[in-house]
Amino acid sequence: MKRKTIGIILGLSLVFFSSFSFGQDLLIKNSTILTVTKGIIPKGDILIIKGIIKQIGENIKAPKGVKIIDASGKYVIPGIIDSHTHIALTGTNESAEAITAEVKMRDVLNAEDHSIYTAITGGVTMVHTMHGSGNPIGGENVVIKTKWGKTSEEMIVHSAYRTLKFALGENPKRSNSPTVGTPRYPQSRMGVNAIIRREFLKAKNYMEQWDRYLKAKKSKKTTKNLILPRKDLRMEQLADMLRGKMVARCHSYRADETLEFINLSKEFGFKIACFEHASEAFKIARELAEEKIGISVFLDNWAYKVEASEGIAYSAAYCTKKGVLVSINSDSNERIRRLFNDAAKAMKYGGLSEEEALKLITINPAIQLGVDKIVGSLEVGKHGDIAIFNEHPLSAYTLCEKTIIEGEVYFDRAQYLKEREEMEKKKKEEAKKKEKKGGTR
Amino acid sequence: MKIKKNRLLICLFVAIFFFTATSSARVTPTYAIVNCKIIPVIGSHIEKGIIIIRDGLIESLGPQGKISIPEDAEIIKADGLFAYPGLIDAHTNLFLELPKEEPRRPGAARTTATDPRQKEKAQNPDLMAAKLLKPKKAAVSNLHKIGITTVLAAPERGIYAGQSVLLNVNGEKAEPMVIKSPVALHVNFVTGRGTYPSSLMGTMAFLRQSFLDTAHYFSHKSQFTKSSRGLKRPEYNPFLEALTPYVVKKSPVFFNCANLEDIKRALGLIKEFKLNGFLTGANEAWRVADLLIKNAKVPLLVSLNFKPPSTSIYVNQGEELKKKAEEEIYPANAANLNKKRLTFALTSLGLKKSSDIPKNVQKAIKAGLPKQEALKAMTIIPAKFLGVSNFLGSLEPGKIANVILTSGEIFGEKTNVERVFVDGISFEIKKPPKGAKPTTVNIAGKWSLKVSGPMGEIESTMELEQDGNQISGSISSSMGRWEIRDGILSGNELALSISATMMGQTMDLSFSGTTEKDSIEGTITFMEWSMELTATRIPDGEF
Repeated sequence: MKRKTIGIILGLSLVFFSSFSFGQDLLIKNSTILTVTKGIIPKGDILIIKGIIKQIGENIKAPKGVKIIDASGKYVIPGIIDSHTHIALTGTNESAEAITAEVKMRDVLNAEDHSIYTAITGGVTMVHTMHGSGNPIGGENVVIKTKWGKTSEEMIVHSAYRTLKFALGENPKRSNSPTVGTPRYPQSRMGVNAIIRREFLKAKNYMEQWDRYLKAKKSKKTTKNLILPRKDLRMEQLADMLRGKMVARCHSYRADETLEFINLSKEFGFKIACFEHASEAFKIARELAEEKIGISVFLDNWAYKVEASEGIAYSAAYCTKKGVLVSINSDSNERIRRLFNDAAKAMKYGGLSEEEALKLITINPAIQLGVDKIVGSLEVGKHGDIAIFNEHPLSAYTLCEKTIIEGEVYFDRAQYLKEREEMEKKKKEEAKKKEKKGGTR
Repeated sequence: MKIKKNRLLICLFVAIFFFTATSSARVTPTYAIVNCKIIPVIGSHIEKGIIIIRDGLIESLGPQGKISIPEDAEIIKADGLFAYPGLIDAHTNLFLELPKEEPRRPGAARTTATDPRQKEKAQNPDLMAAKLLKPKKAAVSNLHKIGITTVLAAPERGIYAGQSVLLNVNGEKAEPMVIKSPVALHVNFVTGRGTYPSSLMGTMAFLRQSFLDTAHYFSHKSQFTKSSRGLKRPEYNPFLEALTPYVVKKSPVFFNCANLEDIKRALGLIKEFKLNGFLTGANEAWRVADLLIKNAKVPLLVSLNFKPPSTSIYVNQGEELKKKAEEEIYPANAANLNKKRLTFALTSLGLKKSSDIPKNVQKAIKAGLPKQEALKAMTIIPAKFLGVSNFLGSLEPGKIANVILTSGEIFGEKTNVERVFVDGISFEIKKPPKGAKPTTVNIAGKWSLKVSGPMGEIESTMELEQDGNQISGSISSSMGRWEIRDGILSGNELALSISATMMGQTMDLSFSGTTEKDSIEGTITFMEWSMELTATRIPDGEF
């Protein structure tokens, strides 16, 4: 018995050490530090040891062997978090059926998607990469760090919430994708609501079936003719929603059906972490704040389809002021490199403070993803995920110069430009050589 | 075809009768291969050795003088030749005639049906390669030409493609070839054809669910067998029946891995469901070598197809890198795995022409794979993986007499295979005529064909492929598709051997004639008959 406990302790400590053996050591010196949650340090240093922020303050001395980045005149912010994207995936929608809770984006990660590089050029260090909005119930999403060059397993953030994609409105009812052959159920908003309800009722049934089985198995009388119920992966996922092991991320534009979905969650007792796009969120900001449901939005992008026609640029700021947890997402492998520009717009439209605006792309999405204990702000003990900008990140003229994840530099603009220049030079030289050869013939 | 053909056909049928009557019974005489250098793969080389083959097996082998030659043995002088065990290609799609594929349904399926049967119907785990065997003479002789005597033939379509068969390439008849059936279940990371699953993530969920369902089905069935009274009878399910040996009894499951993420997917499933999994394809295996070292128990079958997958970072960054990937980076896969001391077999999976196999082995060797490792990867290692190393994979007394005689060291650029023995049956390799002149024309393409003799006229079409002097292809007419093999083009002189199949019998017709850019003229002879053949080129797009 004793030996067993020692074994377990050893095992646990192994897990402990191996999970913390990631990351590198780094000291970033002399920059303006925008911590997001703990104010601004006009000229300070950040010390990262083994990927974790050890110290933030002034005049920190580097322990022996620690790499130093002199960031004089630069701005340092926590790595940007994109709460809603579809990058680094092979496939977005499982479109053959309307309910596909059993599919997992984790299974189809593509660590070689160039969009990951695009993301780090804009200071993004973490993304929530999701199933598409084609199905009322899509698949399980995954949170990854944008560790370009690393394997897909090394990118996954296991401590994040398990999230399941839901979708309402035009996309799941296929309003904008011309159907070939017989149309798929559901074809209306009421149908979308009905099919989700139906699936949750099924999941309840499924859970009861298992409960009955387990109960009967425990009572010694009737075990002989007991048949093991079939394990259904689709139902398992919805059961996990009902057990509170997973949270909903729901694609929703219109205020009315957003409220309907909240009612549905109350009916069945599952948790909604966040509504996606939510272009009419400003109409129901009070309800969202009361229910503690966040929104993940575009800042000034609307009217690209009928259900998005009532969007306004003031929504993010307005909802923030009403107490809703707001994040700005890219939903795109292009906008992902300029989320800081979008955050700045929330100052222009609605008058958020600098810190409030920065929260929209750092700590707020971190809270939405359940990772605010490890990332989202610059605090001792959190991961050394950092973006360094040449000017204030909310300036229109700013550029991300370095992107650092767990103390390791993944993007360095100066180095990249140097390499590009060298490559072009080399190409030109080769072309010249060829020309010369051609000339002597 | 025209009506006049009838008399010709009757004559041919009569001829077939005589032809097949004389060749139906096959005898495997006792052979003594003398004076060859023996490389047995297991055991040390013998500079001047003798191999005795009797009754399809290797009776004995050893240095000259130590082995006595039986009186009844036919002596095969192999001066200067090398003897190797026949090569094993542990994953091909050869020899199978698959059922016709239904056209892909336009758009996605419009069902929300959760009845698993609907999904299962789209897949074929119960497709048995052994029942689909249609060996073609041309394919057989093409394999002999490169020293391959054993192949694993697997169906290739769908998530569950079916179950494979291991064959000794000992002739053109299906049943005598079969060593073992079924060998493995074949899984591809592809999507359904217009039905669920229509995405890779769906495929992963579908695979997991079907493994779970199989285990559940099996447990219900066993429970019913034990005590059926008062227990609901499990409903018979052919899909789950087919999967049962692989999920429950741990028969081999081949996961076709097109890229490095597929390798991880496969390893994940193997671990999750405790499968006896094999990784095949895997031409990005070197990129996950460390992961493979951790999973060293999982057999690795590396394809000689060096085409980078479309997901590769090497193909999306300009032509220069793409070219380098095809010519240098991917051919070094095997060499890199060997450096990491990983054990693997080499297969032809994904290669279109069997003549590419030796070429690509040479490329792998050039990239740093030691020759002896390449040889092992096509002999004893696949034999071990497939559980047949007690009778295949090396030259040892008592093993099946799959022996190849080569003109030089195997996989050498100028090395030819001179003769192969498969199950002790000898096949001599026809050589291109000495002094074959460089070709003056390229006759690859489609041709319209007219064969006329005193007895009638046949019209059909012919498709030719040209590889230097070597010509292959097929003739298609209402009588079916006839393979063209051992074709030689010397200057503008063309000689072809045509395997004609009629009434289920195959016979060889030979053609010789001359060719211009757009025309071919000559004579087909078969026993004592001869017919004139003229062909004109069909321009592209008219076929």
